[in-house]
Amino acid sequence: MLDDKKTEEKDAAAKKGLTRRDFLLTGGTVAAGAVIAATPAKAAAPPSSVGEGKTYPASKGYLVYDSKKCTGCTTCMLACSLVHYGVQNPSRSRIQIIQDSFGKFPNDIKIAPCRQCKVPVCVQNCPVGAAFVDIENGNVRRIDSDKCIGCGTCLEMCPQQPHRPVWVEIDGEWKSSKCDLCIDTPFWNEKGGPGGKQACVEACPMMAIKFVSDMPEQKETEGYDVNLRNDHWINLGLVDDSEVVPKISLAWPTRPGGEGGEE
Amino acid sequence: MMKGGYTGKILRVNLTTKTVSRIDTEKYEEFGGGHGIGSAVFFDLVGDQLPFEAFDPRNLIIMMASPFSGTFMPGSGRCEVQGLGPMLYPIEWFGHSNFGGRFTAQMKFAGWDGIVVEGASDEPVWINVINDKVKIESAKGIWGMDTWDTQQEICRRVIPDQKFKFGEWAELSENCYTTQIPAVVCCGPAGENRSRLGALLHGPGSQAALCGFGGVFGSKKLKAISFIGSGDVPIADPQAFMDARLWFRKFQWNVDNPREAERFGKAGPYALISGRPSGGNVLNRELPLTPARAAACASCPRGCRMRLSTGDSNESVCAGTMVINVNGSVKFTRQGNDLMQRYGLGHWQLMPLMRYVATLHEKGILGKGKQLDTDLPLDLTGTFTYAEALMRQIATREGIGNDLAEGCARFAEKIGRYEEDVNSGELSLAWWGTAVHYDPVVEAEWGFASLLGERDLMLHMMSNYPLHWMAWSGDPYLTAEEAAKLYTDAMVPYQGDPFMVDHSDGPTGIYSDSKVKQVAWIKHYEKFWVGSGGFCGWRWPMCITNNTADRRGPTPEAEPKFWNAVTGNNLTFADYMELGHKIYTLDRSIWVLQGRHRNMEVFPDYIYDKPTRGEDMPMYIDGQWKYDTGAGRTLDREKFEDFKTRFYKFEGYNPENGYPTRDTLEKMNLGKVADALEKKGRLG
Repeated sequence: MLDDKKTEEKDAAAKKGLTRRDFLLTGGTVAAGAVIAATPAKAAAPPSSVGEGKTYPASKGYLVYDSKKCTGCTTCMLACSLVHYGVQNPSRSRIQIIQDSFGKFPNDIKIAPCRQCKVPVCVQNCPVGAAFVDIENGNVRRIDSDKCIGCGTCLEMCPQQPHRPVWVEIDGEWKSSKCDLCIDTPFWNEKGGPGGKQACVEACPMMAIKFVSDMPEQKETEGYDVNLRNDHWINLGLVDDSEVVPKISLAWPTRPGGEGGEE
Repeated sequence: MMKGGYTGKILRVNLTTKTVSRIDTEKYEEFGGGHGIGSAVFFDLVGDQLPFEAFDPRNLIIMMASPFSGTFMPGSGRCEVQGLGPMLYPIEWFGHSNFGGRFTAQMKFAGWDGIVVEGASDEPVWINVINDKVKIESAKGIWGMDTWDTQQEICRRVIPDQKFKFGEWAELSENCYTTQIPAVVCCGPAGENRSRLGALLHGPGSQAALCGFGGVFGSKKLKAISFIGSGDVPIADPQAFMDARLWFRKFQWNVDNPREAERFGKAGPYALISGRPSGGNVLNRELPLTPARAAACASCPRGCRMRLSTGDSNESVCAGTMVINVNGSVKFTRQGNDLMQRYGLGHWQLMPLMRYVATLHEKGILGKGKQLDTDLPLDLTGTFTYAEALMRQIATREGIGNDLAEGCARFAEKIGRYEEDVNSGELSLAWWGTAVHYDPVVEAEWGFASLLGERDLMLHMMSNYPLHWMAWSGDPYLTAEEAAKLYTDAMVPYQGDPFMVDHSDGPTGIYSDSKVKQVAWIKHYEKFWVGSGGFCGWRWPMCITNNTADRRGPTPEAEPKFWNAVTGNNLTFADYMELGHKIYTLDRSIWVLQGRHRNMEVFPDYIYDKPTRGEDMPMYIDGQWKYDTGAGRTLDREKFEDFKTRFYKFEGYNPENGYPTRDTLEKMNLGKVADALEKKGRLG
């Protein structure tokens, strides 16, 4: 369902007020034909032109993270799905921790939250305006699930790897969702969004995710992987550079009475 | 009606008939989860057929999740494995072992509360579970692989490259996506060859090391089980659960601003007990350090493991990094221990076995041309070459490895030295064929609770870590009196009796009624919270902690707070401990059906006869609390037998034989268990 649909068809379907179900049943053909006849120039436009040239006010909040500090416990993912959906399920989480136990540090873990893009491709390309910039809540890029028709355009178009929108079942319909910086958390009595709290930030036991107000530098499709470690972290012996050494000895002392070792 | 925590169904796979069916979890909800449900399922399916052997196709492999699995309940990421354990001695008791990682989390996301495997396949197979789709797959091309290659090959087969869309999102079925990789548990060559040392491996270093369940996998021609899912774990009260998780932060090691960093941040015992990340891997403590991350099991706020930039010793901890020692080379030591993981050899049995081989060699009994003739390169002891040869021979049953693969106890028995070497302590087994761990003469509760169980206790967060290691540090944050009071305050429902942790051999010490209560508390906590909640024995219970100002830990407030929020139940800590009592009684009944009698619950002679070096523990001596070692003490046979008599009575068992009584069983709604015992003439 999310693969070969042409954007102009989705766009046209949306303009006609069709649901995703209508869209899939008709294969988009009838709807597309009808709209092309009405607005041929718009419908024929390539995907990137939807909203092209438009500028968007910058989000007033971002999640930065330290992938070297992360332990891969996935608490953030479960907190995210809990506060938004009342269940725990990584497949519903808007922050993804991808890891390989057999991998080599630091490439064994990748952290993937939405970066609230300067030019939000999801918003730019949503055919029904379900993906939007929430002017009333710090310009956070959000998806209104009531408006979403489940066409999957935002999921397809997201330039980040993995794509950041998340495909979830809401009231029996499959739709896109994405990080809203916890503006809408029906299962958590905390104010979220810029100026508020985020479930992943609060729950992370390593303090490896941080909310910031200023937009970090956005390089191509890279995220905001930063250093959130201080000397206390270095003293754990978890250096990321052999030139850096802890200020304390990590070797075990001799056991009182002469014998060494543990266990 | 189950509200939260459970998915509602347990997977049942018969490898003989190649059929798959379901068991409703609701039928077993009264047992909590994990171990409790596993014991009840075992009794229902095969209890009437006992005794039989561990490698009999009737034996079951039961791997249960808990209501906490797949949630962010701190330190609940372990998977409980149960069945008859071929490592255990002299009878292959109905045993349990567990391992950390992500296995039970993925089991739950796939929609299952557990898996029960019965029968035996005629050809090597593995079980592939993708959400509700279950397939028994041929293990052709996988059988014979080590545990690491097996898991990576299965991941490729479950999610081939063409399944990836939108970057790292894998399409499991229409609309169902995940970025996570399949969670696989498998045996290695050791298990395939029915070694009694055979462990189960998940990831590079998560072992179910005790009981020899790798050998049971091998006997069933079962190479691996894989789970991957994209479903929900329902939570009865999401708001309460989130509140509880954030409340728990105050008990964690604050990595950015730890409490009393100078004191608790230094090397030594506090590295183990302070809650600091990464302390479990002992092979990265000397300069130059290898860059590494602290790595955690699913939902653990501590992250006691490491993943190194070299990929060596990833996720191994403690014994998993300490069995093999290659002289002068950390690199080869790491890789030697990794080889143990790859062969799927259980570290807790390999360690005493290696020592025993060395002892027999020193005595001139074992070696080239000796009574126990072997081509092992014993002149190269301490090298990678020797370690590799020894492990290979055990794993493949080559040469003397064929006898060593029977495990310490049975090997010693076969060569006619069991009585002499175990009773003298030359072969340091202490309970049920597993090695001595913490001193049963001083840290009595560890030994007593092991002997009154079926294998080594392996629960460090009982008084062992908090008290033994705090005292060992030379800088305890509590006086002995404060420690005894605070620790036992948390031991509901027996709270208020500080002598539960008196380790003297005086009237309030290790033979006292207070110690009876402590051992009972340990068994009940073990069976419900650890076993049935999927808790880590390195995290729970937390009766005291260095991370709070008043040194109080989250036990006993946290456990029911989380459990009730997830499940929607409304029981107290004491209620759940009574469930632990029930589960322990059920386990004990199964052991009795297998032949357990109080006369078997005795230590080898050396524990009664050989003076101990002692351990620093809180002791109440001459009216004063202090840390003391008990050095020179031996265990008094008569007093220990009297302790047992009082323990059996306390638990509702017949002190003459240790059998549970009908009255006790019926009060626990276990009348059918009483019937089974009566049928065998073993009702207490």
